[in-house]
Amino acid sequence: MGDTLNKVKITTAFEGKPNARALKTYVDNGGYTALKKAFSMQPAQIIDEVKAAGLRGRGGAGFPTGMKWGFVPKDDKGPKYIVCNNDEGEPGTFKDRYIAECNPHMLIEGMIIAGFAIGANKGYIYTRFEFFEEIRWLEIAIKEAYDAGFLGDNILGSGFKFHLDHYTGAGAYICGEETGLLSSLEGKKGQPKLKPPFPAVSGYLHRPTVVNNTETLATVPFIINNGAAAHKAIGTEKSPGTKLFCISGRVKRPGVYELPLGYPFEKLLNEDAGGMLPGYTLKACIPGGSSAPILTPEELKGLTLDYEAITAKGSMLGSGAIMIIDNTMSMVELLKVTVDFYHHESCGQCTPCREGTGWLANIMGGIAAGEGKKDDIERMNEISARMGGRTICALSDAAAMPTMSIVKKFGAEIADYIERGIRA
Amino acid sequence: MHDHHKPNTKSEPAPAFTPALRKKIEGYLTRYETKRSAILPALHAIQDELGWIADEHVEILDKDYGLHRVQVREVLTFYTAYRQKKPAKNPIMFCNNIVCCMLGANEVIDKIKGHIKKYEERGMEAPFSVEGVPCLCVCDGAPAMIVNKDRHLKVTKDNVDEILERYAELPR
Amino acid sequence: MSETVTFKLNGKDVTVPKGTTVMEAARREKVEIPHFCWHPGLSVAGVCRFCMVKVEGRPKLEIACNLQATDGMDVKTSTDDTKAAHKWALEFHLINHPLDCPICDQAGECGLQDYYMSVGKYHSQMTRPKVLKPKTLDVGKDLVLDTERCILCSRCVRFEEEVTKTGALGIFDRGDRAIVGTYPGTKIEHSYQTNLVDICPVGAFTSRDFRFKQRVWFLKDKPATCPGCSTGCSVDVFGKPETRTYYRVKPRQGEANGHWMCDKGRDTYKHLNQENRLRTALASDAKGKVSEATFADAIADLGSRLAAVNPAQDVALLVSAQHTSEEYKSLFDFFVRELGVKKVYQWREPGEKTDAFDGLLLRGDHNANTRGLQDALKEAGLPGGVKNEFDAVATSGAKIVIAVTPEIPWTFPSLERQLDSLSELGFVSFWSVAGSLTTRKKVKHALPLKGFAEKKGTFVNHAGKAAKLEHPFPCTVKDGRDVTEIVAALKQWRQNHGRH
Repeated sequence: MGDTLNKVKITTAFEGKPNARALKTYVDNGGYTALKKAFSMQPAQIIDEVKAAGLRGRGGAGFPTGMKWGFVPKDDKGPKYIVCNNDEGEPGTFKDRYIAECNPHMLIEGMIIAGFAIGANKGYIYTRFEFFEEIRWLEIAIKEAYDAGFLGDNILGSGFKFHLDHYTGAGAYICGEETGLLSSLEGKKGQPKLKPPFPAVSGYLHRPTVVNNTETLATVPFIINNGAAAHKAIGTEKSPGTKLFCISGRVKRPGVYELPLGYPFEKLLNEDAGGMLPGYTLKACIPGGSSAPILTPEELKGLTLDYEAITAKGSMLGSGAIMIIDNTMSMVELLKVTVDFYHHESCGQCTPCREGTGWLANIMGGIAAGEGKKDDIERMNEISARMGGRTICALSDAAAMPTMSIVKKFGAEIADYIERGIRA
Repeated sequence: MHDHHKPNTKSEPAPAFTPALRKKIEGYLTRYETKRSAILPALHAIQDELGWIADEHVEILDKDYGLHRVQVREVLTFYTAYRQKKPAKNPIMFCNNIVCCMLGANEVIDKIKGHIKKYEERGMEAPFSVEGVPCLCVCDGAPAMIVNKDRHLKVTKDNVDEILERYAELPR
Repeated sequence: MSETVTFKLNGKDVTVPKGTTVMEAARREKVEIPHFCWHPGLSVAGVCRFCMVKVEGRPKLEIACNLQATDGMDVKTSTDDTKAAHKWALEFHLINHPLDCPICDQAGECGLQDYYMSVGKYHSQMTRPKVLKPKTLDVGKDLVLDTERCILCSRCVRFEEEVTKTGALGIFDRGDRAIVGTYPGTKIEHSYQTNLVDICPVGAFTSRDFRFKQRVWFLKDKPATCPGCSTGCSVDVFGKPETRTYYRVKPRQGEANGHWMCDKGRDTYKHLNQENRLRTALASDAKGKVSEATFADAIADLGSRLAAVNPAQDVALLVSAQHTSEEYKSLFDFFVRELGVKKVYQWREPGEKTDAFDGLLLRGDHNANTRGLQDALKEAGLPGGVKNEFDAVATSGAKIVIAVTPEIPWTFPSLERQLDSLSELGFVSFWSVAGSLTTRKKVKHALPLKGFAEKKGTFVNHAGKAAKLEHPFPCTVKDGRDVTEIVAALKQWRQNHGRH
């Protein structure tokens, strides 16, 4: 059992350091030593180490990282790719941006190691276009790494070749879905690819590709340097390591907090973030980005922030976005913003999602305009139930889950709007 | 929310490609594994340089660079970053997702819209346009907006005028 | 040797080649799994999410089109879960559909309608305004596009990418605002565009030719082989036997054509309709006046003329390659073997490029049975070799010419000119479908032929594959006969008049 209170800094280790982003700062503080160590290991050993460390995808799905790497066919001699999903877009999330700001080289080092482990010689970092400054910082860091010989044809004399490029998105939440991202990287609409085959077998340009989240990849150098056991010593048994939590809303100190998984929610809210702003009370919390089912204050009592505990409450850890909803927020408005977002972002290829998100938005638009109908709540429930688990990617589920949870837990408030014809 | 899919009005002439822009696009054509991957960066480059992307530009990408116009248009209309009409001098993307909304984004957007209306009432071209956009992922700085390429955090109806005045004089 | 897998489909053991999807296997087994986006001639898109099936032991329903059958897999296509899934998939497809069936040409062969009857039958819960999109777009000379009816299955887009390789269609914008179309201001230019009408599972693409002409449920369809070129695409001909009218030709899945056919081939019904056809026989009476005649009188006219000459010297056959092998056999058996006719000429379009091929289906040899004719010539001991011998007829010295005319007007641009020049010759008996013969003053004799859709027989395509015409429509003209029947009538006449 790891430690759930000890605030070890992994991906934010350079937070607050002067010139935190610079290569020199990184190298002076032990940067790129994991890469050297990795080159002395067998690729399979690296994958085993990451597996043993229990690292899980930090983008939202929580899939075991080492296992994902292990799916790449070893005997395939053709090109393979490692792609960093830096397309941060899950509402409420703002952590990957933070890595680009204070730690881009840790990400780059993680990517080179991942490339070495799966036999990929090419990598891409894919970032949403609105991160104008972050993209510039990443491009500077890539150039620094090339200049220092950490990227190129024969890295540190190892004989290993790894090239890294940056690719900029263009405004589509769906590109945060790994295969939507790959479609976009191929110069297409960001529509998720049909699975199977999975990207580890057939991804970018139908070649084996691993897509990992920024935070996930930035954690890899720590694991290689310190060993799987050191990582396992942090957090809980099933959710080892640290996680960047993004707390937002009317709290005193909103921001990114790197905390061990299993950290108590109330401690984050009341101590780290300083509690609610005076005059506001906690109405609800969306714990994993807007796709996660909402939790009531009652459900939040005693909650610890790890994959299992949040799942047990019927929600999910997701991207680590902790949106604190206060008493000023009407649930009609919250649900309307949520379904409008998914309606706007549905790529449109799968019918249940394309039509379902539009239908939900249509209904919520009516309710918010004071024109709700008596059976709207029941209908939203039914639509949501039929949108889940039926599509190529999880966007449909991401729209359905919060809808069902808000309707279930705050249905009375919405019914009141409908009954009285109140405009939200 | 977005009206980017509407065809642009033919009255606005499409600005011509500069040699620098052409050079940039040519670089993208060989930078990736396939030429098709150049579509997104090429469109970004056109918009950065010329402000928006006209049908004529798509046709240049097809004819001069072999990027299939149907594929280009699919990309152009799928992604919301690309503008198919000449924008205001300072386009504003204002986040109106959950946290920004809770912290008053819509009031600020309404205030900006009020300014724009005032310019228009006076027969002036508004130096700003504003659209609500999905989460900008800076929720610790909500409400957040991007003017041109500058990100502004904790934008409230009390401080928004002061920020906007850095870009253009507001109507009194 | 190909590996196979055996799995259970609705409880029945089914063995299929490894890699076969449940959808393909079900199709083979004639088990209906509702679907819109899947098409056997296109890649798998998996977007309509309609073809949900239950795999025992797996928590979620899965789409049959992207599910490879594996050994021991237990698949059910009709459980309470799948039925509910199908019903809802249909509801999602219909919420923004205009439901304008009364004015839609697809009505009667529309996936939405069919599935509504088989898996739907619910009261729609959609009570809000629908998304409106552009209608009646001109996207090609044979096409009309209604984007509001479109269910975004992407079949048409895949067809343009994978089959014509033009990429002429895209889906623009996203979500429920997505719209299928060509690049603004451009049209689909290739000659395979009506396939889009066929593969569109709803009435988004309709055919300009067929638009508002007929309700499909009044039509009968019969399988045939397209006579437009030497590829020999399998087709279905649609007609209304009561009114003796043909309305359209559509491709049927076949070895030669896969699932498609060219737009040219689609026109091969038009010449069969009465207004374009030779409707009665023409023959000379005792005074030599040419007029409409009964079939029997026309046969008598021709029979007596043949009886009055020395066939070996005075009779020539001019034969196009658009008729069946059986017809050629009877023609040569009678004229060459029995009567000893030696002057047999092939009738082909001057300047044709028989080796041309558009890379997909359409061949430069616009004759359905070039191979069959060659085989018959050889069989009759005549010199073969594909060549146009039209001009040789005029100088052959024959007193009687039997002209078995090409059937399909668009394949023979010179046909009308050639009919003119033939009618200048001494005595020509036209065996033909061409309506223009009745208006030509100098025509002395003509017998109306049956069209390809109205007879039985064989076409041998460019690759030597024989295709049978087996399901004839009744001939739209009363006295229409095929070559074999005409020959039989001539023989009968000779018998009745003491000639053998």
